[in-house]
Amino acid sequence: MAGYLLRRLAYGLLLMAGVVILNFFLIRLAPGDPAEVIAGDMGGATAEVLAAIRADYGLDQPLLVQLGRYLGAMMQGDLGESYFFNRPVSELIGARIGPTILLVLAAQVISITIGVAMGVMAARKPNGVLSGAVSVVATIGYAVPVFWMGIMLIILFASIIPIFPVEGMADIRLRNEGWLERMIDILHHLALPAFSLAVIFLAIYARLSRASMLDVLGADYVRTARAKGASERSVLFRHALRNAALPVITVAGLQFGGLLSGALLVETVFNWPGMGTLAFDAILRRDYTLLLGVLFCAAAMVVIANIVTDLAYRLADPRLGGET
Amino acid sequence: MALLEIDELKVTFRTRHGPVTALDGVSLRVEAGETLGIVGESGCGKSITALSVMGLVPSPPGNIAGGAIRLAGEDLVNTSPRRLRRLRGSEIAMIFQEPMTSLNPVFTAGDQIAEAIMLHQNVSRAEALSRAVALLDRVGIPEARRRADDYPHQLSGGMRQRVMIAMAVSCQPKVLIADEPTTALDVTVQAQIFDLLNDLQRETGAAIMLITHDMGAIAEMADRVAVMYAGRVIEEGRADDILDLPKHPYTRGLIACIPNVGKGEGGEPPPLAEIPGVVPPLHLLGAGCAFRERCGSAFERCAAERPRLLGPAAHPAACHAVEEGRP
Repeated sequence: MAGYLLRRLAYGLLLMAGVVILNFFLIRLAPGDPAEVIAGDMGGATAEVLAAIRADYGLDQPLLVQLGRYLGAMMQGDLGESYFFNRPVSELIGARIGPTILLVLAAQVISITIGVAMGVMAARKPNGVLSGAVSVVATIGYAVPVFWMGIMLIILFASIIPIFPVEGMADIRLRNEGWLERMIDILHHLALPAFSLAVIFLAIYARLSRASMLDVLGADYVRTARAKGASERSVLFRHALRNAALPVITVAGLQFGGLLSGALLVETVFNWPGMGTLAFDAILRRDYTLLLGVLFCAAAMVVIANIVTDLAYRLADPRLGGET
Repeated sequence: MALLEIDELKVTFRTRHGPVTALDGVSLRVEAGETLGIVGESGCGKSITALSVMGLVPSPPGNIAGGAIRLAGEDLVNTSPRRLRRLRGSEIAMIFQEPMTSLNPVFTAGDQIAEAIMLHQNVSRAEALSRAVALLDRVGIPEARRRADDYPHQLSGGMRQRVMIAMAVSCQPKVLIADEPTTALDVTVQAQIFDLLNDLQRETGAAIMLITHDMGAIAEMADRVAVMYAGRVIEEGRADDILDLPKHPYTRGLIACIPNVGKGEGGEPPPLAEIPGVVPPLHLLGAGCAFRERCGSAFERCAAERPRLLGPAAHPAACHAVEEGRP
């Protein structure tokens, strides 16, 4: 198991190096010049000023030299300085990564618990009304764009039933309150963004776990459980769900990247102070180093999520536990 | 009163072709300590008979449309699901055909046996687990304590079937239903499993209902035999009588199909016998005998009238040709 983990980590590092190098070139292929953006914000610039800025940030060097410098600094934990904010990228990301992780994990928990619960209920009576309703809800949820769902929720909760805050992560009026009040406030703010991000994934898990449960409920070992005299609840949740959950775990790991990119949209819609809004700003401002840093962190999160998924799968399925 | 009585059991299934009758008036009796073999080809209703006794006929589409099943006089057809769950696993237990897929892949062998014990007996988990180990030892699994922690994929087919048997006998059921328990196993392992079942039966006095299409298994295990065809019992009697003096053309055909390993007269092994054709689809059964299309002795009456189970009470058969003494 330890050897397996080390190997996975090594692959993960390779993958992240690949992501960084690829992004480094891709960003520079895009039209636009960061020197002009930097200079533009200062209010017009001559060619000499632009050249000075380029020299200052090392943008006048050949691409490979720039890449070498970037990677060298990265090895020492330095992700560079943001052109726009004039602060270290790691510091900027450090301030934003927490809210994004909170949002993504909350959406993951919501979508898996509600989605699997819907799937299990639907699988109990595959031709029943409930099963049909779950299918309809899942299809709609899958088809609705994340940002549109966010906007609809904002309209609903901003004006029609204003029970949830529709913007930001915390109420600044509460910043001198105790930690419990502030935590409840954050959860209150989290509700809408987490839900709108969760909807599409919830639909995926509902359909997947319905199909998987139907499959498992027809399995011989489920009949064995019934033949033992196990109650229907035990058959469903102890014998069937544990097996039916395996594909859900796999897909949950694969969907993590999708969840992160969905978070970018949701954060923008709800003004959630996470990495998504940071990335959005970085793209608009040609802030190469900041964007590279954000993408690097996103890749790291996906790699970690995949390793966690693999470990979870191994814990859930003893058939994989032995070999590495 | 027999321990297990099945009376005129009728089971129907909803299908694309409309309702079909999977079991049509099946009556069987099993006494305590006795082994009843149920023989027939795939699709003849053997497994549905077993599942009906267990109350596990998938419903829908299945439905017990008539008849009675009684365990020690207690009606099982009209009893509550709760009571049936009580009886399943404790009074009536079942061993399935596919040990590969009949054990849950995500629980250890010991856990699965212990679960059966805890469902019906008021014991702690630790006690149930130690009983499970003892049972694994009893069914001939070496190093039972260590094997109890194994998952099904770590066990061989024969071992898995032993685990299934340990699970089935864990609460000392009065009736043990074995649905083709050795079909998926090697021949050498088959004999061991039969020996084990015989031993367990001697110890506990359980009645065994052995479902098989293997006449060799019948010769090995059964005291009495019921031959089924297209949802009906077509011949019944003591195992010796059925094997030595089969009456129904179908039973004769089944026995002729037992492969002969020895050399025949010309030094060559004798050709394998077969029964021509297949069991007709249940929705296409007409008024006459269901076997007539495949039968060498069929005559006009066979197409017009369904034969009833007639003849001496100890060995009746459902065949017009037998009834009229035709060859």
